[in-house]
Amino acid sequence: MTSQTPHGSAPQDYQVFDAATLPANDNVNPYAFSVDLDGQWFLQKGKMIAYYGQIDFHGIGHGRLDRLVAGSFHSPLHAADWVVAEGRGKLLLADRAFDINSFDLEEGNLTVRSGNLLAFDPALSLKQSIIPGFLTLIGTGKFVAASNGEVHFVEPPVRVDPQALVGWADCPSPCHHYDHQYMRGVMGGVRAMTGLGGASGEEHQFEFVGAGTVLIQSTEMLLEDRATGQVPHQAGVPGDGSGGAGGPGGQLPGQLGGLQRRLGL
Amino acid sequence: MAQFRLQGTKVLAATLGGGGDTVKAKNGSMVAYDGEMAFKKLSGGGDGVRGMVTRRLTGEQMTVMEVKGQGTCYFADRASDISLVRLAGEKLHVEASNLLCTDGGLRTGTTFTGLRGASQGNGLFTTSVEGTGWAAVMSDGPAVLLRVTRDTPLQVDPGAYVAHQGDLRQSFQSGVNFRTFMGEGSGESFQVRFEGDGVVYVQPSERNTLGGDV
Repeated sequence: MTSQTPHGSAPQDYQVFDAATLPANDNVNPYAFSVDLDGQWFLQKGKMIAYYGQIDFHGIGHGRLDRLVAGSFHSPLHAADWVVAEGRGKLLLADRAFDINSFDLEEGNLTVRSGNLLAFDPALSLKQSIIPGFLTLIGTGKFVAASNGEVHFVEPPVRVDPQALVGWADCPSPCHHYDHQYMRGVMGGVRAMTGLGGASGEEHQFEFVGAGTVLIQSTEMLLEDRATGQVPHQAGVPGDGSGGAGGPGGQLPGQLGGLQRRLGL
Repeated sequence: MAQFRLQGTKVLAATLGGGGDTVKAKNGSMVAYDGEMAFKKLSGGGDGVRGMVTRRLTGEQMTVMEVKGQGTCYFADRASDISLVRLAGEKLHVEASNLLCTDGGLRTGTTFTGLRGASQGNGLFTTSVEGTGWAAVMSDGPAVLLRVTRDTPLQVDPGAYVAHQGDLRQSFQSGVNFRTFMGEGSGESFQVRFEGDGVVYVQPSERNTLGGDV
């Protein structure tokens, strides 16, 4: 317990920021980020909490932003969730009091869960990952992401819990890993399907190999996914719903194959 | 006069010296106390019948209790972060839902804020706190204090607004245009603009607002 004197927390002890003292492209506190805007930035709808200066917000659609969108956005359909902030000033971003981190990419690439990405510099280009629900940023520039609890950086080889995964940089895409000892056979199938018989909830991980960095958050509470747009309905394109291996009705990522198939029926 | 201090960032410790020291706190926000305390519910925000009617009419209802006694009383609400404000005659404007506790000697009232409230879904009014003593303001995540000067007006998302102090004028700013109606709204169509001299408290989170999806 830390105890303060009764006068220890007078309002003048709180730091009061103004247009000049707000940090430039840095965190104000772990939950709010200040962008020094001179030009344009992309941000997710509804994440601006305050700003100084002259800034306009435009929904993304047809018009004079077309060229910018074409250059930095490669999925026309999920553009509806994004806004372009344009002008000069200091812009404060926050997301439901989640932890906020900024990342600098230098001629790099980073794939992040769609719900975690908050804002990015248009010098980067945003593309849909072939893994459903993830987005990939490519190029050089800064972006801001939210996470539930602090972000930790780990290096492959590593296996991570699916709900704790925020994203990964520079390494090949992950694959599913199952605890085979536990999942094998009829009982394993029953356990996995029903949770009966003592499933630990940790039979399935994402496995990363190769060189790069994996970003994990400190809880297993996911941030709500944002639509990433549809992918073309084409043979060979994962995630278009007409999937090859999933069979009729499709299959959620991470879900196990049907019980019949496990039993070889 | 009651003395306020923070125990961590999410618990308020109010020390009452007996002899008529009181604080007004959000109903049910007491988490612990030592010494002798008496809790009395104040109907309708504790500003008398007139205040009660005003609060009811303006939608700035607060369920408030009066705490009286000697010792230290601890208050917290849903693990919200707390900021302490020491008033020496000034006026603090705060959303009723963000006010945790005030010194019993402070006067609370309701003030008309213009159109800001309308977009926020919690009315056209805020609560004002005036006098000499401590007030404790809650926010979802630690509040960021932003200074407004004559040269640097500030725009705030209505959902992130918590409180303000000083000589500030607020006006409602809307960026609604034909695109909004075509489903291409920017999600940031409504802002409150603060001009003058003062400090605005914003939280790193947004309440659900009517304007939030536009």
